Amino acid sequence: MREVIAAPLPGLDLRQHYGHHQSPAIRAGGLIFCSGMLPIDPETGERRHGTLTSEAHVIFGNLKLLLESAGSSLDRLVQVHALIYDSIEYDVLNRVYRQYVANGPPARTVWTAQIEAGFKVELDVIAVA
Amino acid sequence: MSPRREVIVASPLARDGASRFGRAVSTLVRGGDFLFVSGLTAVDPDSGERVRGTTASETRHILVNLKQLLEAAGSSLDKVVKVNVLLHSMLEAPNMNEVYARFFPEPPPARTVCGARLPDDAKVIIECTALV
Repeated sequence: MREVIAAPLPGLDLRQHYGHHQSPAIRAGGLIFCSGMLPIDPETGERRHGTLTSEAHVIFGNLKLLLESAGSSLDRLVQVHALIYDSIEYDVLNRVYRQYVANGPPARTVWTAQIEAGFKVELDVIAVA
Repeated sequence: MSPRREVIVASPLARDGASRFGRAVSTLVRGGDFLFVSGLTAVDPDSGERVRGTTASETRHILVNLKQLLEAAGSSLDKVVKVNVLLHSMLEAPNMNEVYARFFPEPPPARTVCGARLPDDAKVIIECTALV
């Protein structure tokens, strides 16, 4: 069975705000697959551009909201793909990242990519439901 | 019993383009309840030849083929849970999104789109995970 996880706050519905043809997350087979998480204001949907660190804080806040609304949590992440705009920021990512995954961090891969709207970081994650 | 892993041989084989990689890649692999689909580039389903076009036309080619591949493996577009779309430029994201929206029924799967340097001058690569 495949079940849509709705946006817990209106800002997190990227389809409504930006026309992306995607659900916020899908629960299937005991896992939760999240759409790429971006630094979007969870109330208004406005883009929150900033430093990689500030963008990552917003993203983890949104991810926490989304996962907890689905009965999961940041402690239940199993895999993270962290996309960053420039590999020079790898250490910066790690500093902010470890604050959110203190309890047995998930598997992770980091690579450099072009992220939408010129954001500096995006997280693509799978968690257990 | 541990969940089984099964390589699914697509039919017709030309459609998946994997034969070009000398069998180093399986286009479809089942693991447990999930079907994992390799990143697809735009290929002609009959000849297996690479198709070069716009971001929109490559997206259309890929999704036509993806639909066939999923259905041949006992899945379908409405069982897809997550899609990753790689584009040669994020400026093309709206062109991809417009075509993409015509293929996936409601409610659409989760999705991540990013820009990356793609092999073989491809403009689009799409990979996904589906339920079987």
